[in-house]
This record gives sequence, C-alpha cells and structure tokens, in this order.
Amino acid sequence: MTDAPSAQEQSIATAVKEQLGSVVEEVRYDRKGRLSLVAHKETIREVAACLQRLGFDHTIAVSGADYLAEKRIEVVYFLSSYSRDDLKHLVLSLKVHLDREKPSLPTLTPIWESANLFEREAHEMFGVIFEGHPNLQKLLLQDNWDGPPPMRKDLTFPELA
Amino acid sequence: MSTLDLNVGPQHPGSGHMRIIVRTDGDLIVHAIPDIGYVHRGCEKIAESRNIIKNIPMLERPNIADSSHLNWSYIQPIEDLQGVEVPERGRYIRTILCEINRIASHLYGMAIMAGIFSGHTTMYMFGFGDRELFLDLAEMLTGARMTFSFFVPGGVRRDLPKGFKEKLLETLAYLERRLPEIDRIFVSNPVFIERGRGVGVLRKEDAIRLGVVGPVLRGSGVRFDVRKDSPYGAYDRVDFEIPTFKDGDSLSRWLVRFEEIKQSISILMQAIRDIPDGPIARKSPIVIPKGEAIGRVESSRGEINHYIVGSGSDKPYRVKMNTGSFKNLLALPFLLKGARIGDMPIIYGSLDYWPVEADR
Amino acid sequence: MSADPQKESQNLSTSREVSAAPGIWVGSLRDLVERVARIGPLKQLINWSRIYSLWPVHLATACCGAEMGAMMSGRYDPERFGMQGAVGSMRQSDLLIIEGTVTKKMLKRVKVVWEQMPNPKYVIAMGDCACSGGLFHDSYSIINELEKALPIDVFVPGCPPRPEALLNAVIKLREKIRREEVYHR
Repeated sequence: MTDAPSAQEQSIATAVKEQLGSVVEEVRYDRKGRLSLVAHKETIREVAACLQRLGFDHTIAVSGADYLAEKRIEVVYFLSSYSRDDLKHLVLSLKVHLDREKPSLPTLTPIWESANLFEREAHEMFGVIFEGHPNLQKLLLQDNWDGPPPMRKDLTFPELA
Repeated sequence: MSTLDLNVGPQHPGSGHMRIIVRTDGDLIVHAIPDIGYVHRGCEKIAESRNIIKNIPMLERPNIADSSHLNWSYIQPIEDLQGVEVPERGRYIRTILCEINRIASHLYGMAIMAGIFSGHTTMYMFGFGDRELFLDLAEMLTGARMTFSFFVPGGVRRDLPKGFKEKLLETLAYLERRLPEIDRIFVSNPVFIERGRGVGVLRKEDAIRLGVVGPVLRGSGVRFDVRKDSPYGAYDRVDFEIPTFKDGDSLSRWLVRFEEIKQSISILMQAIRDIPDGPIARKSPIVIPKGEAIGRVESSRGEINHYIVGSGSDKPYRVKMNTGSFKNLLALPFLLKGARIGDMPIIYGSLDYWPVEADR
Repeated sequence: MSADPQKESQNLSTSREVSAAPGIWVGSLRDLVERVARIGPLKQLINWSRIYSLWPVHLATACCGAEMGAMMSGRYDPERFGMQGAVGSMRQSDLLIIEGTVTKKMLKRVKVVWEQMPNPKYVIAMGDCACSGGLFHDSYSIINELEKALPIDVFVPGCPPRPEALLNAVIKLREKIRREEVYHR
C-alpha cells in the first residue's frame, strides 16, 4: 500500500538529492517511511559521511543479495536514527552494486560502528570483502567450513546437504 | 602481568549455546570475545526454497519464547508488497497475541537471566509458574503453547473463542496482584539491587553508537520504541508509556523489563475492551510480487527487521532477518571489559541474549 | 577392559566380558562384585536408586530448551521423580537431554560433554530436530542422524514436545533402566 510521501519525507529526500545528487545514482521513495538510494562503491564513504551528518546515526541491518541473472551482488545498508525525532520512523536503504566475481567494498565501520558484526556476516555468507574491517573472520559457520559462501544462488541444496 | 584465558563454553548452566573467550588478570576481565554460531541453522537459505506460507513455522522458531513478533515482522513486508490491508479486528487480535507473548517472554527472561544467573531459583519458579497461565491463554486462542504460526498475510487465522475475554481479564487481575509480591521478594531485594547497580554501565552515547536495541537501549536513557515511533497494528489506538531509565546499568535494564510488563497489562485491557467487530482477515494471493520491502517490529528483546525481495512466484527471492539479540551482541565485549568475573553473569543476563535468535 | 567409549556404545546389548586372570586378586574381586550385583533383589535395589536420581545436564540446545525449562518448573514438577535440574556440571549428572537441533559446530562439544559424564549415562533425544532433522532437515549446517554419533535411549517427537511428553519419556526411560543389568554400561 503506497501512500504519498509526507512533507517531512519530501524534505529529507530533497536534502539528500541536493547534497549528494552528483554521486548517487537514484533516490527513490518506496512507501511510507522507506527511502532508498543507490550509490557507487568509489564514493560510498562520502555518501555515508554525509548521511551521518544529516542525522542517520546507526545501521539497523546490512544485507547482501545475489542477483545471479544480472551478475551482481548487492549490499544494502539500512539506516535509521535515534537522536532526531523526525527521522525515527524512517528507514533509509543505501544500496551498492558489486561485481559478482570479486565483490569488495570499503568498510563503513569508521562511520557507523554498529555495522561491525553485520559486515562480518555478509562477508561470510556472500564472500564480500570489506576493506579495512578490523576483524573479518568467520562468525556463524562451523570451524572447518571449506566450501564457498553458502548464501550465493548457484549453490543449491542437493550439493550442500 | 600474566593473564589466564577462560573458556565460558557452549555448555553452561544457562540458556542457549554461545561461547565467550575471556582473558582475565586475576579477577578483572581484560577482554572478552564472543564466539557464536553454535545454533546456526541457515534459516535464510531454507526460506528461499519454500513457499511463503510454509516458511512461517520455520521463521518463527528462532525465538520460540517470543515467536509472534518474528511472525509479524515476516508478514509485514509481504503485505506491503501485495498491497493488502489488514482489517481492524485483525489488527487488534494481532496486538493482543503479541502483548501476551511479551509478558510471557519477559517472565521467562526474568526467570532465567535475572533469576538463575544471579543465583535465585525462587525467581525461576515464580517466573515459569506465572508464565504458564499466559501460555494457557495463548493455547486457548491459537492452539499451541509457543509456536503459534497464527498470522498470515491479510490477517489472522482464527477469531477470539468464547470465554477468552473473561479468562484474559481474570489472568491479568491475578498478575496485577502478583507483581507487587515479586517486586517485594525479588526486584526490590537488596541483594539483587546491589548486584545490579553500577554494573555494566552503558552510557547514552555508547548505546547510540553501538546501535543497541530494546530494553538495553531504553535502560540507557534513549526513548525509542518502534511501537510508538513507527506504529503498526493497533498500537496507535491504545495509550501506553515507554519506561526509560537513565543510569544505564544492569539494574536499570531489568527495571525496564519489569515496568514493560505493567504497560503490557494496560495495553491488553484497553485492546480487549475496544476491539471492534468485523472480519479478521482479507484474502491475499500466495504470491509475492516483484519488489523489496522492510518489516519493523518491536519484540521483547529489541527491534526485529525482515527484508524481503520478491520474485513474482510463491517463493521469496531473498529473506534477510535481523533480530534484537544479534544487534545487542556488540555491547557484550564492550561491557565486559574491565568488569569482574563475578559480574559476568549479571552483565550477560541483563542483555537478555537469546543465542538461537542471534544465530538464526 | 574396554576403554574405548566408541566400542562400548556400539555393544550396548551385550554385557562386558568377565576377565579371567587367575591369581590376580583385583580381577577376582571384580568378578565377585559383578556376580553379586546380578542377584535379584540387589539388582532391583541398585536400579531403583538409579531411577530415582536422574540428574540432567544443562544442554539447552535450541528451541526445545524452552519446553524443557517449563518441564523443570512447578507445574510439571520433575522433582517428584528425583530429577533435580540445578546441577551445572556434567560430571555429576547421568542424563543428557539433547533438546533441539544439533549443528555441525556443536556436535563436537556435545560429544565432549557426553564423554565427560560418568557411567551409567542415558541420552534422551528431545524434539523432531534431534530425532531426524525436523523442520530444518535441508539445511547446510545441521546433523540429521544423531544416533550415529551418540547412543540414544529414548526419542521424543514433537516440535516442541509438550512438557507432559517429555515427562512421559522420562518414565519410559525409568522402565528401561529397571529392566537392565547393573553393569550393563
């Protein structure tokens, strides 16, 4: 059910477009309380620093997604705010498209420390390398896991089980 | 200075499997590394190969004591993508079940994490005994004690049975009489207060920086609750408060949970009084259209998010779950640094960490 | 004397061989004790004392741990059967209740706990996941056939099994122990 964006959400989207318009690919309003923007991996640190100045002070999740048909892996950072009242209900999705063969991305832990464990899990499950992460080790899988990252789409159950 | 590496191993007299490798210098902890993954069952991978309705029982198992919130957070994005709106009565029934679940989960938390970890088996018996009444209520409504699988896209499965309202009001009256007794014997007990006061202090700036959620956040002075700030269900139609304490120590986190039980009783009374008549569900197809959506729900341990990418078929393309315990895990090594070994169970218990939920 | 727990676990239904070493008085004393323990009333007394003090280890694996916690509390009261839940060390317990899914990462530690328990010890596999994989049977990280790793005495199906079902399992285990030879394991 999509409603029209409220005045507040419009103003946030405008602010984002103004400050980052040149380095992000698109800013989109999905539905009530959900904004999304797609950024490039080279300028992701700039975009993240700007978003932090705008008031988004923590990540609520980091997800990877494997789009096999389009040969890309997408990493999404979900951001929200505890300190600014007008942003508390909003979830901003910051997406980055990465090459499927060698996915790598500068880490955003210097900006949002809450992304530490989430990036570790994305590394383990999808094979994305976060450059500069303080501790990129296995988190959830068993100690002697020697297979490929389990959440990729080209691994199906008859092979894994 | 010589240090000792202690293995607080996966088998410990508490709840769930997780290992903390603790380096100690005498009695002080120098640093602690949590080692998780002992209950990692690959829920997200399995969810991609099953029908969306058949995923419901599997995706609500990670936190069995609080399963209706996981269910709701999974259903919310599916309803957003399908464009289905839940009728009023369905919203109220969802709220009622979730608040019953919140009370049962907080009593469980207080029984094991506050009770057993600080050495009081009396609280264990109190907590589990009173919790049984709420499980009976849930069984009357849904048919199961803990794993309800009650919410489907579009509404709920069954209506309130006959006699439910009277039994609910009777149980709530009993709990209201019981809470001052628990308070007197356990929560205001000088031993418990001394063990928790000033232990594991998490200041407001650190709480925001580390991104903690739930009672851990509210115990550090940040007034944030998804039920108030981004309302869903019937939470914008009932009146309740968000208990917040400023000290940031283990005692405040426990007091937040204790006060939340009282607020849940008030929400339940209002909801059962104001529930309107009408349909409980709208028909929705068993298909997820293409697109992405995010679900956001406040469970008893913190905020739960589900991110669903639809593929146009009846199986989701990607389901990502992020639960409250996993978000709070970053606070554990931060709080244990510099603490004493005797304080370790108290700090670990006050975070109310549920390993199965964090590992998924 | 067979010191290999692996072999012992495979030969559950045969009694241990009585060692015949004439002239060594320790060996004859052991024969004597085993022969005495097979006398009817004494065997019944020993088995009776075993079944009234089954102490479980705290190994709350996954979701079923919540139902085991509920079983240990006031409403279902296992203490009338002698099952005290408060012990934390596995060296003082003789019952291992495996609740819930055992993942590959956890299996090694479950075996370490089982091997540290003194004889006689019993295992109850609680829940569908411990019996046969359950709801997560097609996952990449769990063990489906637990009986190949540990000898299991009682299987309790259910997801999760009700506390009454788990108590029923304990009662069946007690009947099984009553029928056993004393130096069976």
